[in-house]
Amino acid sequence: MRTVTESLREYARGVAGGLLFSLPLLYTMEVWWAGFTSHPWRLAAYVAATFALLLGYNYYLGLRRDTGFGEVVIDSVEEMGLGLLVAFLILWLLGRVTLDQPTTEIVGKTTVEAMTVAIGVSVGTSQLGAEGVGEDDKGVGDEGGPHFGGQVVIALCGAVLFAANVAPTEEIVMIAVEVSAWRLLGLVLLSLALSALILYYSEFAGSKKFVRFDARHDVLVGTVITYAVALLASAAILAFFGRFDGQALATCVAQTVVLGVAATLGASAGRLLLQ
Amino acid sequence: MTKKEKRRQVEKNWLEWVVFGVGLALVAGTLGYLIYDGATADGVPPSIEVKLGEPRPTGHNFIVPVTVTNHGDQTAEGVTVEVTLGGGAGEPERGEFAVAFLPRRATREGWVAFRTDPRGKSLTPRVLGYEKP
Repeated sequence: MRTVTESLREYARGVAGGLLFSLPLLYTMEVWWAGFTSHPWRLAAYVAATFALLLGYNYYLGLRRDTGFGEVVIDSVEEMGLGLLVAFLILWLLGRVTLDQPTTEIVGKTTVEAMTVAIGVSVGTSQLGAEGVGEDDKGVGDEGGPHFGGQVVIALCGAVLFAANVAPTEEIVMIAVEVSAWRLLGLVLLSLALSALILYYSEFAGSKKFVRFDARHDVLVGTVITYAVALLASAAILAFFGRFDGQALATCVAQTVVLGVAATLGASAGRLLLQ
Repeated sequence: MTKKEKRRQVEKNWLEWVVFGVGLALVAGTLGYLIYDGATADGVPPSIEVKLGEPRPTGHNFIVPVTVTNHGDQTAEGVTVEVTLGGGAGEPERGEFAVAFLPRRATREGWVAFRTDPRGKSLTPRVLGYEKP
C-alpha cells in the first residue's frame, strides 16, 4: 500500500499532466461554445468514449500494472473526477464559468474541457513519474513492446491528445473548404511520411524498443495502421464538436484529412513517448 | 492461486478512497445530469425575452440596462436586440446591441444608449433575429 505522501505526489503529477495537455483547450472559445451548443446526450457519449479510452490506457500502461481490472476502473474514475474538478476550477478562475449561469451551461463547459484534462491526468500520472515501472507488464508481448491492441490504444490516446487541441477551432473548417484536392492529397502523403519518419527512421526515443523492424512490410503496415488510427480519432473528435453537421461529405473528408496531420503526429509520437 | 488472488486485491489508503469517492460522485453526477437533461429538453427553439431596466444619464448620453433571457431549449447565436425610443418628434431614436451567444435558459446583460433622455418616454424592446449555432 502506498503512503499518503506517495499518493499526493501521484495526484500532483496527474494534475500537472492534465494541465500540460489541456491548457490550450481551456483557453479556446470554440470549446466553451461546444459546452452549451451540444446536445446533452452528445456530451454524455463523449464522457463514455473518453472513459473507454482511459480504461484502455490504464489497462495497458497505467502506473499500477500489477493489479486487476477492478483497480483499472477505480483509477479511471479517479482520473475523470480529477479532470472534472481541475477543469471546473480553471474555467471558474478564467471567468468562463460563474455560479449564476444555468446548470446546463456550467456542466456542459466543464464536461467538454474535463475530458482532455482527464486523459492528460492519466498520461501525467503514468509518464511524469521517476520511479521504475513494474516488471510484469501485461500489455507487453514477447518482442518487448505492447502487443497490437495496446499499441492501437496508445496511438489513439496520442492522436486524441494532440488533435483535440486544434479540432474545435474554425481554422480546420476554413482550410477544409478552401484547400484544393491536390493539396489535400499532399497532406495525406505528408501524414504518412511523418508517421514513417517518426516510427521508423528518426530514432525517436523508444522506437527501437516498441516498434517492430523485421521487414520492409512492417514499416508499411505500421505506418498505414497508425494513419488509420489517426483518421479515426480525427473523424470522431470532429463529429463530436459538430463539425460534420450539415456539411457535404467532401467537406467532412477534407476536414478529417486536415486534422489528420495533427492526429498522425500525436499517434506516432504517442506510440513512442507515452509508453 | 491464492498468491495471485491476494495480489489482485485492491490496496488503497484513505486519501485514495476519498479521491475515488469524490471522483465517482462527480462522474456519476455529471453523467446522470447530462442524461436527465437530454431526456427532459424537448428541443423548443430559442424563445427570447427582453427586459428593460431604469434609464440613467452617464454624462455623455443616456443608457438603459437590458436583460436578455433565453427560455427555449436551444442556444441562440448572434442575438440582435433593438430598443426604440418613441414619443419624440420626427424619426424615433433606436439603440441596439448584439449578444454573441445566448445558451438555453441563460441570461445576458447589456445596455443601449440614446442621445435624448428616455425617462418618461416609451421604450419598446425587440429581438431582431438570431442564428442556430
